[in-house]
Amino acid sequence: MIDRIAFGVVALLLLLSALRVVTSKNLVHSVLWLGLTLVTTAGAYLLLSAPFIASIQILLYTGGVITLMLFGVMLTRRGEDIAIPNESSEGGRALILSLATFGLFTGAVLKTPLPQEAPPFTGSTAELGREILGPNLMAFEVLSVLLLAAMVGAIVIARRRDPGSQRPSLGLRIEAEAKSQEGKS
Amino acid sequence: MPLAAWVILAAALFSIGLYGVTSRRGAIGILLSVELMANAVNLLFISFGRYRGDHLGQVFTLFAVALTVAEVVIGLALVILLHRVRRSDVRVDEVKELHG
Amino acid sequence: MSLPIELALVALFTPAAMAVILALVPPLRRTGRPAAWLSVLAASISLGASVWLFADQLGHPSRDLLESVRWLPHAGAAMANVGLRIDGISAGMTLVVTLVAFCVQVFSLDYMRSEPAADLGRYFTYHSFFIFSMLLLVLAPNLLQLFFGWELVGLTSYLLIGFYFKKPSAAKAAVKAFWVTKLADTGLLLALVVLYTHTGGFEWTSHPGAEVATIITLLLFVAVMGKSAQFPLHVWLPDAMEGPTPVSALLHAATMVAAGVYLIVRTNPLFAQAEFTREVMVWIGSFTAVFAAVIACVQTDIKKVLAYSTCSQLGYMVAALGAGSVMGGYFHLTTHAFFKALLFLAAGSVIHAVHSNEMSDMGGLWKRMKLTTIVFVIGSVSLAGIPGLAGFFSKDLILEGMLESGHTVPWLMLLGAAFLTAFYMGRVLFTAFFGELSEKAKHAHEGGWEMQLPLVLLAIPALGAGYFASRFAGMWHLEYELHLNLEAGAASGLAILGFAVAYVMYGRGAPVATPAILRPIAKLAASGVLDRFYEGLYRVLGLKLAGAVGFFDRYVVDGLMNLSGYLALTAGQKLRRLQSGNVRDYVFVVAFAIFALSAFGILR
Repeated sequence: MIDRIAFGVVALLLLLSALRVVTSKNLVHSVLWLGLTLVTTAGAYLLLSAPFIASIQILLYTGGVITLMLFGVMLTRRGEDIAIPNESSEGGRALILSLATFGLFTGAVLKTPLPQEAPPFTGSTAELGREILGPNLMAFEVLSVLLLAAMVGAIVIARRRDPGSQRPSLGLRIEAEAKSQEGKS
Repeated sequence: MPLAAWVILAAALFSIGLYGVTSRRGAIGILLSVELMANAVNLLFISFGRYRGDHLGQVFTLFAVALTVAEVVIGLALVILLHRVRRSDVRVDEVKELHG
Repeated sequence: MSLPIELALVALFTPAAMAVILALVPPLRRTGRPAAWLSVLAASISLGASVWLFADQLGHPSRDLLESVRWLPHAGAAMANVGLRIDGISAGMTLVVTLVAFCVQVFSLDYMRSEPAADLGRYFTYHSFFIFSMLLLVLAPNLLQLFFGWELVGLTSYLLIGFYFKKPSAAKAAVKAFWVTKLADTGLLLALVVLYTHTGGFEWTSHPGAEVATIITLLLFVAVMGKSAQFPLHVWLPDAMEGPTPVSALLHAATMVAAGVYLIVRTNPLFAQAEFTREVMVWIGSFTAVFAAVIACVQTDIKKVLAYSTCSQLGYMVAALGAGSVMGGYFHLTTHAFFKALLFLAAGSVIHAVHSNEMSDMGGLWKRMKLTTIVFVIGSVSLAGIPGLAGFFSKDLILEGMLESGHTVPWLMLLGAAFLTAFYMGRVLFTAFFGELSEKAKHAHEGGWEMQLPLVLLAIPALGAGYFASRFAGMWHLEYELHLNLEAGAASGLAILGFAVAYVMYGRGAPVATPAILRPIAKLAASGVLDRFYEGLYRVLGLKLAGAVGFFDRYVVDGLMNLSGYLALTAGQKLRRLQSGNVRDYVFVVAFAIFALSAFGILR
């Protein structure tokens, strides 16, 4: 009984905050609502007996991604004013599409025989660690390479100038190109 | 607690994210919505893993989270670059250089 | 791989390699004389291998070697083979081809001396390529490979006739030769198709039945008429004299035009099954022999005389093969290759000396050019069939074969042609080489050693090849016996008579006047009535047909093309709206695709 109440609370919070993420007029608010969504998801993970993933969710997403997003918002805003617009448009087709998708998935779920009760869970974080660094070590290592590549890529894209070189960075060159195009037209 | 409840919750989250992706005009808004969708998928992994009774779902989620972080990093870098070129709010429908 | 195969490969591929090198390395080709010498080197290696091969074959007269690899694999089995067939016939022809080609190349070293270096290189590249193509034809183990060689020699012929392509008449002659021979080659192609459908292969030893054999051989004979210049497809050969004289000697007298006759010799198993085709061959051959000989009597251009003479002699060979005298036809092909190449090269030597093709510009050359005169006399006498020289043996064999097979009228026609042959050769001899020294001939002199050596080399077989007839016959698994009877005497007598008449008419250095009886023929020949006929045919049939096809092409085929192009353009114009450049549209499309794919996966 108690898990059903917990599920209801989590589900309600999750859906409400998610809706505010996509409807809020202020971009900063959207980001903050996303933070709430992610934290609530961590709660859902706890309900699903995944405490390690829940803590990762809070540390990485809420601590990292949300901060990053806020940086992004602040770095790209125009004007001094704190209310940063987050506009939507042509909601019609988007609404129809998302509702249709939801209907489709729900229909598929209801048609599929899924277990009613979760089996008793005996796992532990130590076992999860062995799982990751044992059979899935290869994927883990590949992922680390991917993260490195993403880091290098982000720096190359966003940097202003290559150190020790007179050549402007890729970003600035694209910028200059765009300006010369404007000048021509 | 039936598994179907979790799956439908994840589907709802995913659909909300889809709505955001298709309706938002700003690049950061779209990125936020993509995060929502990724989150829904992660939730799905954990749920199925729990009802399977092993760690595989959690392992996969861990990898997916790392991937999402990488995606956010690149996405934000692109947004910043776009902002520098455009000197404006990053509205994706203003970027039309690729039109036919 | 046995020794003869290796020798044949050397003979075949040395000139091919040289041609490829010269063609692909322009700096080397444009050096001119070094390139020419390289080509001569390749030809001499080829000649050496051929001589060895021939000698080896003489030691084993009954040997018949076949080395082939599968080619055009189709549904597990090979459609045809490509390889080498070495027996007495191909070994003999290989020797003839390489010997004449070698002589002609050496001759050209001097004859073409004044050409620009780049053109000289081009000339010798073609020559090397010709040896390869001709040997490919000669050594072919089946009709398909023979066809490839056949077309390649046709191409080389085109290139060499049009060697002076800046001269409009040469370019025209090249196109005409190509056009006429290609038209005829369609016959060979169709023959291949018919042969393949009926026997599933390209072997000439197959037995597709008398009717099919008749059809195949008739089609083959059409190709032969084109290549070997038989009436009425002979029209390209006189025009082909626009090419350099050594080219005429090699391609249009000794080897390439003989390819048609060689084809019949090779495919004789098929021709033996086709009575009707052989009858046609007898009549066309005999008629061509007489007809061309008559026209040769009224030509004033020394090369044209020789060209018509070639036509006439090819007529002899075709008639002989038609009458079933394979030995006669093939042996005449061999001896003719030697003495006609000799005559052409001697004529080239004269042209080189007096800078004119017209016989009226020559005269009294004996006083200036002793060697050329001697070899020209040898060639003429051999051609005319005076007893003791090569031409006598082969021509006698042909006449005998005609009579044996009961073709009396063709026999008489060929006898008449023999008389005319002696007459026109005598006419050339007496006007060009004897009598008064003409204005242009005053400064004439012999060419360098490069020109003299080939003349001597070719004069030897032109003199003596006849005495080896029985050896050759053994190699070709044919019978040969010399009968010195009345008929042989008649032919020789007519030949001597021909020379006598020529002496009476031209012997005193009289100007080249056309005898009264021959004037209408001269007029007819000059008017080019056949050319006009072809032109009319072309205008009436060809142009109308082309017009109809053109109409169809312009309005139906092009219409469809344009319609599809228009549709594609319009569709593109409409579809480019999809590429709005608006990221949100793209996002929507991606999202929709996700939805659609999920729906497909779930609802399926």
